[in-house]
Amino acid sequence: MQYFKELASARELLANLTLRDIRGQYKRTVLGRVWSLASPLSAMLVYTFVFSFIFNIKPAAGDPSGVNVFAIWLLCGLLPWTFFSAAISAGMGSLVGNSGLITKVYFPRVVLPISSVLTVGYNWLFEMAVLTIALLIVGAFVLPWLPLVVLMMLILVVFATGVGLALSVANVYFRDTQYLLSIVLQIWMYLTPIVYPESLVRDQSDKVGGLFGTNIEVMDIYSLNPMLHFVHVFRNIMYDNRWPDSADVWACVAWAVAAIAVGLFVFARKEKRLAEIL
Amino acid sequence: MSDIAVSVESISKKFRLYHERNQSIKSAIMRRRVSVHEDFWALNDISFEVPRGSTFGLIGSNGSGKSTLLKCLAKILYPEHGTITANGKVAALLEVGSGFHPELSGRENIYLNGSILGMSRKEIDSKFDAIVEFSGVEQFIDQPVKNYSSGMYVRLGFSVAINVNPDILVVDEVLAVGDAEFQAKCFQKFQDFKAAGKTVILVSHSMATVKSMCDHAAWINKGNLQAVGPAASTIAAYESSYPS
Repeated sequence: MQYFKELASARELLANLTLRDIRGQYKRTVLGRVWSLASPLSAMLVYTFVFSFIFNIKPAAGDPSGVNVFAIWLLCGLLPWTFFSAAISAGMGSLVGNSGLITKVYFPRVVLPISSVLTVGYNWLFEMAVLTIALLIVGAFVLPWLPLVVLMMLILVVFATGVGLALSVANVYFRDTQYLLSIVLQIWMYLTPIVYPESLVRDQSDKVGGLFGTNIEVMDIYSLNPMLHFVHVFRNIMYDNRWPDSADVWACVAWAVAAIAVGLFVFARKEKRLAEIL
Repeated sequence: MSDIAVSVESISKKFRLYHERNQSIKSAIMRRRVSVHEDFWALNDISFEVPRGSTFGLIGSNGSGKSTLLKCLAKILYPEHGTITANGKVAALLEVGSGFHPELSGRENIYLNGSILGMSRKEIDSKFDAIVEFSGVEQFIDQPVKNYSSGMYVRLGFSVAINVNPDILVVDEVLAVGDAEFQAKCFQKFQDFKAAGKTVILVSHSMATVKSMCDHAAWINKGNLQAVGPAASTIAAYESSYPS
């Protein structure tokens, strides 16, 4: 609770640090902010070519929206994922990257990882706006769902912040964290139904049945992934234009609350020693 | 309000001297420990009080623990034992221009740096002109700070910090920056501070600076407090300890 108070008093600092990163990010580039769209677009082209054209993966058409465009279906899951992955990477590096500041000035350190996540979140907002326009062009009636989209984005930001806080401290103690994380993120992405529909996993899981004589199926383990629920919800709202499964929404909320609680707890315990360890 | 600006009560600060430090998970697991270290007490049971409105000097040889103490006062390091109680807003000047972003303009950096030092946007707005004037970089305020000369950079950083307007200012030898004219300006600013009844705590190697500016001083040697009291007698004790 005392943490939130401190954070509330540091919100101007948080805003300024975030603005510093946002303004500094694309300085001296010709294309500027367009670059933040370049990476998801190139990923979209590659995945669409490989998974739709070569592997011929056909996700179900949006129900009830009727949209049936692989690239758009992909982006509805890919954009939340790329945000999450970039945000926790940025959050993780925020303390080590700002060690000069931490060892010289006192301020609530918690603003550093949070501002990193928010900077990535700002770019994500642009990407989602472009996706919304694309959805409108292909005929999805997404406008009434936008408040829900924004709400879910906030929940994902909270989740990413929690993970980022814990990782930022871990990275101060063990610099391996950054290398480990890039591998984990790569595996994690393919364990989340982003480039393929979840139904394919379900089919295989049903074929295999219970693992090692138990009634635990592949699908049960597969569903432990928090990002799976976020991808479900974003696809439901944006691509299908229908209410998401409330179990998925509650899973997202629960993961976000758990992550932020653990993240803040770890951070509060280690915060005072940061200047010494760095 | 009491007459004591800062009260330091028997603080001790321990550092670990690492003989082996495993900053990777592999080595931590292989060696079954994160580190091999011995404790080093950089500060040992130090107590003193800084009177309100005084200019307080911390003196001692290199490695005596002055900077560690200063960092404890600035809340950057936390002592293992003891407490530091400050009556009023503390601002620390351990490095000037902390958090400047090289690609941003001087103007943007003033706002950024000011908020890092704990000023609100309104406060910075009201002091903006004073900051710019004091720094003497008016002409270049909308240029990215990476194009500043090192002197201009430091002057801008110092101007922001000095305008935080704290009750207690903690300074680490940053007076040795800028040209003679700027140093004179800084000196004047400290005098104004004092006149306004504010407290300055200062670490310096220059006895001339301490003599001319401080009225109280503490001498620290190898983490132990040797003497504390009026500046003249403390400095005399320190100087008489020089091997001749």
